[in-house]
Order: sequence, then C-alpha cells, then structure tokens
Amino acid sequence: MSARTAHRLVWLAALLPSVIFLAHLDASAIASTSAVLNSTGRLTGVAGLSMLLMAAILSARVPGFDRPFGGLTRLWRTHHLLGAWSLILLLLHPVLLAFSAAGASIDSAAATLLPPLSDLASWSGWAALVLMMIFLAPSFSFFGRPRYERWKKIHRLAGPAVALALVHDFWLSRGLPTWLDIALWSALALLAVGAVGWRFVFSRRIGRLAYTVSEVTAVANNVVELSLEPHGRKLRHEAGNFIYLTLEDASLAAGRGEEHPYTLSSSPDERQLRVAIKSLGDASRATQTIRPGTTARVEGPYGRFFVTPDRVPEPELWVAGGIGVTPFLARMRHLQRRGETADVCMIFCVQDPAREIFATELQNLADQLEGFRLNIHYFYREGPLSGSYLDEACPDISRRSVYICGPEPLNALVQQHAAAAGIAASRIHTEEFELL
Amino acid sequence: MKQAVYTIFVAFWACVLTVVALDALTPAAEAGDGQETKSTFTLAEVAEHDRLEDCWMAIEGHVYDFTAYIDQHPTPPEVLEPWCGTEATEGMRTKGYGRDHSERAWQMAEQYRVGSLAENGN
Repeated sequence: MSARTAHRLVWLAALLPSVIFLAHLDASAIASTSAVLNSTGRLTGVAGLSMLLMAAILSARVPGFDRPFGGLTRLWRTHHLLGAWSLILLLLHPVLLAFSAAGASIDSAAATLLPPLSDLASWSGWAALVLMMIFLAPSFSFFGRPRYERWKKIHRLAGPAVALALVHDFWLSRGLPTWLDIALWSALALLAVGAVGWRFVFSRRIGRLAYTVSEVTAVANNVVELSLEPHGRKLRHEAGNFIYLTLEDASLAAGRGEEHPYTLSSSPDERQLRVAIKSLGDASRATQTIRPGTTARVEGPYGRFFVTPDRVPEPELWVAGGIGVTPFLARMRHLQRRGETADVCMIFCVQDPAREIFATELQNLADQLEGFRLNIHYFYREGPLSGSYLDEACPDISRRSVYICGPEPLNALVQQHAAAAGIAASRIHTEEFELL
Repeated sequence: MKQAVYTIFVAFWACVLTVVALDALTPAAEAGDGQETKSTFTLAEVAEHDRLEDCWMAIEGHVYDFTAYIDQHPTPPEVLEPWCGTEATEGMRTKGYGRDHSERAWQMAEQYRVGSLAENGN
C-alpha cells in the first residue's frame, strides 16, 4: 500500500460518520431553507468531530506506525489538515444551527447560540470550541508564530477539548439510529483516548530508552554532534530516521527535560547513536554547550525517508540544504561501513564555505563509496539552485530517484526541477524539518 | 490554509455578535403570543386538533399549537403526526428513544403555548 493510499484511507475513515449521517437524512432535511441550514449545521458538527478525533488518533506517535504513511512528518501534515478542517467545520456548526433557528425568530437564534446556563449539553460544546480556538491559534499563527515548547504546552488543551466535544455529542447527537450512533462515536473515541494515552503515559514509561551523552563534537560554530551511549537496550533504526531526544542536564539554559526531534546521523550498525544539532531555537542553542555525561532519553525511531536505506540498487540524486545533510550523512556512513557501492549524485547546498558542515568527512566518504559524486553548491556565489546547475552536476538526472532534505524554498525548487526533468512524483522523496 | 482558518475564525465571531446584537435590538416575544392566552382546554378539545394542518399537543399541563412549527421541526412531520391532538409529554421528554429535548427546544415551545390543560384532564 502506498503512502498516498494510506492517507486517503485516513480521510475516508474521518468522513465515514458524515456519509452515514447523510445516508440517514430524508426529504424533510431539505424541505425548507431553515431545514437545509439545520441539516448542514448538524453535518458540520458530525464531520468536525470525526476529523478532530481522527487528528487525535494520528497524534499517538507510536514508533513504526508512521511508516505506512511515509513517515511522521507526512502523517503530521495530515493531522494538521484534519485539525484545520475540524476547526473550520466546528466554527460553522453553531452558526448554521443559529441561522436555521432564525427561521423561527431572532430570539431562538440567540437562544441557540447562547442557551440558558442549565443547558450543559450545549455549553460543553461551547467550552470545547473555545478550547479549540485557544489550542489551535498557535498552530495556525493567529497571533504570530509561537515558540515550540509554548506551542506544545498550549496544544495539550486538545485533550479536554476532545473530551468536552464528546460529552456534547453523546448528549445531543440524534442523526443516526441510537445503537449506530453510540457504536461509531465510542469506537472513534476509544481510539483517540488510546492514542493520547499511549503518547502521554505508556510512551514515557516504555517507549523511551536511556542513553548518556558520551561525546560532544563541535562541527561548526553553531552545530554540535552528540554521541549517545545506550544504558541497556539499544534503539533499532535505519538510516534517515529521526528521534525525540530529551536531555536532563541541570545546567542547560533552556530545554531541559523537553523533547525535541533530531535526525540520527549515525549508521544503524554503530553501537552509539549520533545526532547533529544546529542552533535554531532556545533549546538547540543551549545544547551547543552540553557536557558529556548528561543523561538522555531517546524515543523513536520515526520517519521513512529512504526507500532502500541499506543499499543503492537504483541511481539516486540527493539534495541537502544546510543541516538537512544529516540523514544523508547517516546513510553515507552506513553504506561505507557495509562496503556498498552507491550510484549517487549528491548536491550539498550551503550559504558559503564557512557553513559547509562535515566537509572533510563528506568528502572522505564520497571518495570511499564507489560511484558517489559529491557537489557543493554555494548560495552566495551561485544564487538559488538552478536547473542548469543540476544538469551540469548530474547530467543523467531523469533516470534517478530524488531525495531532498533542506529548507522549504530549496525543497520546492528541487521538486520543480525534478518534475521538469520528467521524474515521476512517486520517485521524489522529501523530508521536512519544519513541523508546522 | 492558515488564512482560511483565520478568516472563518473572524467570521464566526462576527456572526455570533451579529445574532446577539439583533436579538438585543428585537423586542422580546411574549409567551403564548399565538392566540387565546391563558385559556384552559380539556383533552377532548385538544384531540380535535389531531392533524398536521392543525396540530395541538398537551405537554406537562400546558397546551401548545404547533401547526406553524411542524415544518421547522428537525424530524419528518410523520414522526410528529401521531402526537397531534394527544397528551404528548412522553414524546417531548423522550423523543421516542429516551432522550429529552434540549432546554432550547423547551424554550422555543413557549412561543406556541396557547393555554393550560384543564385540571381533570378531560
């Protein structure tokens, strides 16, 4: 099953309650303008809640669960879209019902929106909606771009919001036969509660492995590579995966005890894990001065960047931008350890030679891997990566599968060039490190 | 997507405020605006209005004329028809499957109240 099919199935499952709801409507649902508004209002409630629950289900972050979906970042894009649609639909829900009631009188429209205080069923819906506006405001940058940890904390309000929305639904829902109504919502609710339960209870206990920071290597003035030694069980992963890393160093200026996603830069065959961390926010800046001996917790692995991480059976084109080099570095180290050949044309895009991280190691690995061609593209000198640069650096681009990891503008640009070269979308693979 | 969500977010509050403002500006409708306010009816009198085109119901000691409301009710008219002309408290309290009507529904019903049910019922 392709990742695209997997995502389509998620949307179908999220739309299923709406389809069943529509199937149970009859002619009276469209008998008058007021009735149409009423049916549409109820439909937006059903669709909005099922999308909210599906988004909650996708937030579980169970290692391996993201693989059929093409990795966690792609799964999160669907989670994000489901959340957006859910909020849009649930904002329309009370407004449409109020407009429908306005058919009787303005008074009943107002009473629909603001019912008597004793109407707890309606107010639980209101409370859920207000919580949604609060916890989704940072996700959609309503009031500017939030800091990662702050966004994450606010996002936890999703739990109570989902609970209140379910109370509202079980109290008022009447679009389906009772047994089907209860069965359908209970199944979705159980999955959502299970997913959130996994995330906040079980994954913390059994999903995190203990490591110690054994070595800190300064790669550049704003990039360090940490080596992590397992206490007991070692994380099993493949090249190109990423992990959530929690550092427990008491002297950290920021980010202590917080989990942050980082790509593994080590070969899966190495005993230690390695992560290269660039100073981008408060936590990653503080990590630059971390000391060996710090306890670390590792959760993962996540992501599925490379189709065949252990070898290169077909020719490939790799385009890395800045710190986006890490999954490629991991795979080069891995291929070299295994003595594989690699028909790879790699383009490493950096601003200027000063920011060419891992320059020596990359060159050494490229020399040792048979068939590997490494090109460095300097933005300051050559401008944005052009089609003609690609053609020159990699003349047989059209027969290659493409892997891109870098900032979004570079990602979009390379996808354009690859599409223009006639490479099918199914052979273009990207890894974003922007999660929102 | 961000823009779409933000637009709907703003539109939502605009709609809510508009409805609340309109409601505040409209003179309040009095209960039983309909007809013979405060009259008393027997069940036999209620039973004369047992069609969708003329539908009265007795509910918890009050009598309502729901004729004008039938079309706006969310369920098909056939669901309401058997209750026309009867003591319909059970229908109002259970919707036929054990769930009470909402507080709002009870409040809306007030607009259709035409009187009370006579003490002895018939």
